[in-house]
Amino acid sequence: MLDIKNLMVFFENALALNDLSMMVNEGEIVGVIGSNSAGKTTLMNTVSGLIIDMKIKEQRKGGERITVYGQITFQGEDITDVKPNDRVKKGIVLSRERHPIFPESDVMENLKIAGHMKKMSELREMTEYVFQLFPALFDLKKRRAGFLSGGEQQMLAIGMALIVKPVLLLLDEPLLGLSPHLQSALVKAIKNLRSESGITILITEQFARPVLPIIDRGYVIENGMLTLTGTGAELMENPEIKAAYFGI
Amino acid sequence: MKKRKERIDRGIKVRSEDIFALCSWREMLYLSSPRLLPIVGLLVLSFVLSLYWQKVLLSVSVIALLAISWDLLAQSGMVSLGQALFFGMGAYLAAIMNHYWGWSPFLTMPMATILGGLFCTVLLLPVLRLRGIYFAMVTLILPIMLVRVIEATRIFGGTEGISGLTPLPSRWFELYIIIVALLAAFFGFRRLMGSDFGLVLKGINDNDRSVMNAGINIYWFKAQALFIAGSVGAFAGAFMTHVYMFVGMPVFALDYSILPIAAAIVGGTGTFAGAMFGAFLLVPLSEILRGLGGLRIVFYGLFLVVFIVALPEGIFHYIQRKYHQFERWVEVEK
Repeated sequence: MLDIKNLMVFFENALALNDLSMMVNEGEIVGVIGSNSAGKTTLMNTVSGLIIDMKIKEQRKGGERITVYGQITFQGEDITDVKPNDRVKKGIVLSRERHPIFPESDVMENLKIAGHMKKMSELREMTEYVFQLFPALFDLKKRRAGFLSGGEQQMLAIGMALIVKPVLLLLDEPLLGLSPHLQSALVKAIKNLRSESGITILITEQFARPVLPIIDRGYVIENGMLTLTGTGAELMENPEIKAAYFGI
Repeated sequence: MKKRKERIDRGIKVRSEDIFALCSWREMLYLSSPRLLPIVGLLVLSFVLSLYWQKVLLSVSVIALLAISWDLLAQSGMVSLGQALFFGMGAYLAAIMNHYWGWSPFLTMPMATILGGLFCTVLLLPVLRLRGIYFAMVTLILPIMLVRVIEATRIFGGTEGISGLTPLPSRWFELYIIIVALLAAFFGFRRLMGSDFGLVLKGINDNDRSVMNAGINIYWFKAQALFIAGSVGAFAGAFMTHVYMFVGMPVFALDYSILPIAAAIVGGTGTFAGAMFGAFLLVPLSEILRGLGGLRIVFYGLFLVVFIVALPEGIFHYIQRKYHQFERWVEVEK
């Protein structure tokens, strides 16, 4: 469904993604595993199109120059130059890292803002679904989002991405800053999400241990380059992965 | 063939970064010419300009002083919309000391500088805890309020102002004292922001909570920055009072708040040089446009809009980048 070919991203003279090719099939959960500064977030920004906006702004300010080469195809359509808002309309929705939410609005309003493109009835249905997925959020419906704890904000951020009924959900480091308990709850929720609504999910993460069991296929990137690919189980057994990400 | 534009430092910049710069005249010139340019430029300008343009140079320098004082505040996390407060405070203090107490300009100017900075700091102390737009609003309101106080209570000449103040000895004296003050403030501020003190101020702008976490009382540092910036603004006011031999309500006018900000934005913030450059561009431009009458403001506004849209980083940053770096197309290698 999503096909990335020879993607190269330069930030000024630094190479963030080097000749990266990967694909995501319909209904799969695909994980991108990499340590800090591997290029995970750049990959997500490029797939969601945010990099186009960053590029224009940096150019205006005369700051670092961003160069993007390569091709991204989504459902057989070349979306390399499609603007981020149009990509959301096509069904590619990103939940950015460090759970950015609207701190001044309450939880319900946040969900409504995120789902403003949807009809009221659909929105109600999806809100219920999000509360079902994250029961903790239901009790906090009227709480201002800025007062939520980090984990709750993370759940809200993912809920905000879900409410649009994405075709392809991009999760950028969803486990960042969560307790092990919340991590496993979230991973379970992601797994249920796929089995219930059948959406395709692309996760980037540096905590490989909780993520690897639920993914169908995984890519390991280092310094913007693909180093390993395989199914979740294969990666789990790989001695290099064990050494680098499990500390065994 | 895929290509991308690469931007790298010029060889001469890298060579002149350490002690080896002393090996060749070219490297030394590369380092010193940007620093010498304002000094030599101002001295030459003071000789070659006609009487009218010398007067323009005075107001350019005053706006430049206000602009670099605005830049200092902006770099310390305090965006002020009221440079007129500093300017007007200095102007009125100098006038009062001269008119009522009969002090000579050589006493009133330094006194107004220090007291003006002090009064402004005390006035703004309660709002130091505010950040961003709230601080800006209070600084915008204060000069407008002071004008009304003077108008309503008719103190210090009321709407008429105080005239017949002692002039400075000669026009050359006027010219050189403001040039020296501008250069001293400019290089002083640059040195200040490079010191540890400046580092704390920059830290307050970036993330004040982290600075607090380092065990530093940020309000004390903010107050000091406010005093320094306020003093520079007050000096500009005191100087202009003695040049015009008059002080009145216009010293609190919005022009003295907006023009320095426009200069700093057009020139580029964060370096002081940008703010100064902006003042030397905008004030003469507004003088040249004077011939257009009412259309002057229209053209002036258009010029500002074009520059802010096309070069949001500021002219100075653009020039600086071109001076230090060059660009070329390189092939993307696999």
